[in-house]
Amino acid sequence: MSTTALPQTRRAGEPTSGNPRPGQVPGRNGARRRPAKRRQTGLLILLIVVSLFTVAPLIAVVVLALSPENAPTLPYAIPTELTLDNLIRILNVGEFTTWLTNSFLYSVISVVVILFTASMAAYALARKRFPGRNIILWSIVATLMVPMQATLIPMFIMVAGWGGVNTLWGLILPTLANAQAVFLIRQFVRDLPDELFDAARIDGAGEWRTFVSIVLPLIKPVLATLAIFVFLWHWNDLLWPLVVGQSDEARTLTVGLATLNTETVSTANIMSAALISFIPCLVIFLFLQRHIVASITSSGVKG
Amino acid sequence: MTATTARRTGAPRRPAGARRANRREAVAGLLFILPTLVIFAVFKFLPIGGAGAMSLTEYRLNGDVTFLGAENYTRLFSDPHFWQSLGVTLGYVCIFVPLIIAVSLVGALLLNKLVRYNGVFRALLFVPYLSSFVLAGIIWTWIFAIDGPLNAALETVGLGPVLFLSGEQWLVLASLAMVSVWKGFGYSMLIFLAGLKAQPAEVHEAARIDGANAWKGFWHVTFPLLKPVLFFVLVIETIIGFQVFDTIYVMTAGGPARASYSLIYFLFDEGFKYFDFGYAAAIGIVLFVIVLVLSLVQRRFFEGKEEL
Repeated sequence: MSTTALPQTRRAGEPTSGNPRPGQVPGRNGARRRPAKRRQTGLLILLIVVSLFTVAPLIAVVVLALSPENAPTLPYAIPTELTLDNLIRILNVGEFTTWLTNSFLYSVISVVVILFTASMAAYALARKRFPGRNIILWSIVATLMVPMQATLIPMFIMVAGWGGVNTLWGLILPTLANAQAVFLIRQFVRDLPDELFDAARIDGAGEWRTFVSIVLPLIKPVLATLAIFVFLWHWNDLLWPLVVGQSDEARTLTVGLATLNTETVSTANIMSAALISFIPCLVIFLFLQRHIVASITSSGVKG
Repeated sequence: MTATTARRTGAPRRPAGARRANRREAVAGLLFILPTLVIFAVFKFLPIGGAGAMSLTEYRLNGDVTFLGAENYTRLFSDPHFWQSLGVTLGYVCIFVPLIIAVSLVGALLLNKLVRYNGVFRALLFVPYLSSFVLAGIIWTWIFAIDGPLNAALETVGLGPVLFLSGEQWLVLASLAMVSVWKGFGYSMLIFLAGLKAQPAEVHEAARIDGANAWKGFWHVTFPLLKPVLFFVLVIETIIGFQVFDTIYVMTAGGPARASYSLIYFLFDEGFKYFDFGYAAAIGIVLFVIVLVLSLVQRRFFEGKEEL
């Protein structure tokens, strides 16, 4: 496919570049339209090739997860029938559902708490004058430069010292410090019009009222974006859950998957587990795609 | 900003009331920041200080702490495993960074020129970004396997089985980089795409009228205008490259024969296999210094742009 695509785009590119002779202006539009169209076809073919690179591995996961066990399947044969047996079997393994639950709790609780506390902090940092505000802001932003792995050991020692190993709170609490969330929401709150806050004050709204019924509804777009990213970061996180959840029951799905891959488990089982782990991310993406794209392109949320 | 100056000029008129209002505002601000401040103090500031302090001690599992001074660092710099892991990480970064920049730039350029079906292809190219490195590692372990699809395809053209994950070091690192590129390029691609969309159309039009072909137009117009974005992506991806761990943990476990034993894998082993916490903390500090230098370089180039 790529061999046919390449010459086509090149052929399409040449006439356009040789075209702009000054005398040709009236006919230019008509002359250019056809090569431009062929160029679009070339682009489409190239993009289909790139899409194969991105999507084919995921399709393979789906096919392998749905292939009946002991029947010929990829890469040597295309299965003649598909079944949900593997998925049902794995969902009935108690261990697996525990991992799934842990992952959901880890991700959802983190999203809710981070969004709420970060919004409060962002409101204070953007709209209130209080002693030490700039120092606090800068120290929070500065933590962005410290990679998580650099503090992994002291964090583990601390949490272990408090008895947090193999517990849900030990897993969640240390990941609630999210500087990116504070920083992004603060930018957003700062750009809200001052008149809103003056009006709220004149109407006699207290600080909490102002925050809950004015700030929170207005920052919904940035909250939606952050909800997606914080969910993905936690759902896909490996190192911290791996270190803090050492028993089988304390693992998240991502950690469980990683350990499955190093053990002798059938391909059908691994791929079923992998597929289940991917579905929530895909669902969120399909519903909130607009927000993801808009946020990366405008503010550069770090992945 | 305007609100605060207005309030300040209004202050002399009603000094007592204004002071009370200021104090109320300060109290409210402190209360609103308090939860975040506590979380950051305990789970960011304390561990950051702790990392530095621990790296100067021998810290054992049973809680025995001995102050060592800089001994962990002198030991680290004479530890062949440290230099090996640093070499592996650098090798990986040297393959990963150019590769991910090339793929995401090509993806962005194609999407930018496409007129129809833009949303569909953007989604199709972005979708691996939603997966975890673990999921990516599982898929690509299967793809790279001796009896996997890639080797099956190579066999049909008469090429013997290639040991992607257990062969020569450069091949193993390249295979691991490939996986991270597949998983991660969607993010950089969207940043490049935003950079391309921000370029003024007139400049490209002018280049075309001056007779520049597609390649010349890219090299002399698009590319120079894209340089700041390129630099941003370069630094971000280099930092991500230095932190490589998940794919290695899932796919090669640092092997074969330490061929993919990265810096973080080294840290993980020293900490959670040998429980030599002080030594592992020192490795973490080395990573911190590397990332800090990269961030400062970036900050220097982007001065003023990132105003708070």
